[in-house]
Amino acid sequence: MYGFSAINASNGWAISVVGISIVFSGLVMLSLVISQLYKILGFWSNLSEIKIRKKFKRRKRTQANNLPFLTENQKEISRQLLLIAQITGNQFSIERLMHLAQISDVQEPKQHIDYLLETKIIISDGLGQFAWDKEKFDSAIQSK
Amino acid sequence: MDVLFLEFFQNTGFYLWDYRNIIMIFIGSVFIYLGIAKDYEPLLLVPIGFGMLIGNIPIFKGLGLGIYESNSVLHYLYFGVTQGIYPPLVFLGIGAMTDFSTLLARPVLMLLGAAAQAGIFITFLGALALGFEPNESAAIGIIGGADGPTAIFLTAKLAPRLIGPIAVAAYSYMALVPVIQPPIMKLLTTRKERLIKMEEPREVTKREKMVFPIVAFILCCFLAPAALPLLGMLCFGNVLKEAIVTERLAQTARTSLIDIATILLGVTVGASTQGDVFLKASSIKIFILGALSFCVATACGLLFAKVMNLFLKTKINPLIGAAGVSAVPDSARVVHVVGQREDPSNFLLMHAMAPNVSGVIGSAIAAGVLWSLMG
Repeated sequence: MYGFSAINASNGWAISVVGISIVFSGLVMLSLVISQLYKILGFWSNLSEIKIRKKFKRRKRTQANNLPFLTENQKEISRQLLLIAQITGNQFSIERLMHLAQISDVQEPKQHIDYLLETKIIISDGLGQFAWDKEKFDSAIQSK
Repeated sequence: MDVLFLEFFQNTGFYLWDYRNIIMIFIGSVFIYLGIAKDYEPLLLVPIGFGMLIGNIPIFKGLGLGIYESNSVLHYLYFGVTQGIYPPLVFLGIGAMTDFSTLLARPVLMLLGAAAQAGIFITFLGALALGFEPNESAAIGIIGGADGPTAIFLTAKLAPRLIGPIAVAAYSYMALVPVIQPPIMKLLTTRKERLIKMEEPREVTKREKMVFPIVAFILCCFLAPAALPLLGMLCFGNVLKEAIVTERLAQTARTSLIDIATILLGVTVGASTQGDVFLKASSIKIFILGALSFCVATACGLLFAKVMNLFLKTKINPLIGAAGVSAVPDSARVVHVVGQREDPSNFLLMHAMAPNVSGVIGSAIAAGVLWSLMG
């Protein structure tokens, strides 16, 4: 048998179509996988970096949640107290801060200093001296 | 004494010769000449050519000398061909020397390797139309894959009696790639297209190259399990190459092992072309179909590249479609040479390697598909 009749008798058309389809789909599938391969591998190699970044973000978020809340009035008075504390140097005693605040006409200084101690914006060194956590203070001032 | 001389003379080649042996010895000599003098695939043509000389020395049957005699040394060596042992070993070596970087850099070029495989299935139809059995037609069609080991592997499985003509046709056309492909390339592309310069491929990481053969092997063999012996060895060879820690094994695979397999394959395939077995009308048909197969595969790759250009933002040079026929690395080299004839500053070799190696994968899948459909 020859010609088209031979092709038809052997189911040649179907075999050819199936064959070329399988070869094509195999290579298309492979090329699709390869085209994404470098992204997957890139992600893998950056996994540790991503973990660190995530940890950092989480810590920042936690810190933001722990920020003390200051009203506008508290912010203003705290700024005045900071200026007074800076006159005394990096470390100061609470008594001296209180005294200077009183003579500087700061409103209700005891109440505000207590709040700053409670929120750990003013930190004790355990030896009777205190310091101002400026980073925390700035964050608290900037938060709305 | 006269009788002894006469008996001896009757056992010599001068008495036993047949015109078909002489024709095959001539063809074998041409192969050796093309390999040595013209540098056309010498590593293949010289062993095959010399194998043809070995196989066509007229011999007295029954002495256990001929390749088709079950007690001959050549027959034992030929066992590696008929049982499909040598082709996977050659694929192991090819895997250990292939760099898939360009393919990984631009995976879309893999489609060109797939398109060129259409030649296999069109030739399959042609062979059926010429009266070959479906199994034989499938084996003939695989010549279009332009991959000698794949052609021998599939023929050994589907039509062992055609190994000689199919192997010789496949390797001859592979050697003649620099002659066959350029006219088709010029015919199907415009000068403007041939002048297209392609972008530099991106840098590929070592990890990508390491993961690729494993992913490719799993995906392709899940799809076409019959491609396992060839693709398995190809990808394994590539893993050895890329792993670095197995450099010693990779070195052996890409040098000694592939050389031994190629020598045995070439010589035994050549020796299997005994005049009385080889010179038949069917062999001539196979040669015609083989040539057609190569031309169609080249044309399909080129035309598909042109179709891809209709959709791609950054155009590709359609010449690289011709490299989809495998014949690694000759067809890629031909693409480069044809491109440089138009513009000497256009370097297409590395771009053409992508469809070229994907053609190897594609032809192995096609062989697996045909084997499973026919087997």
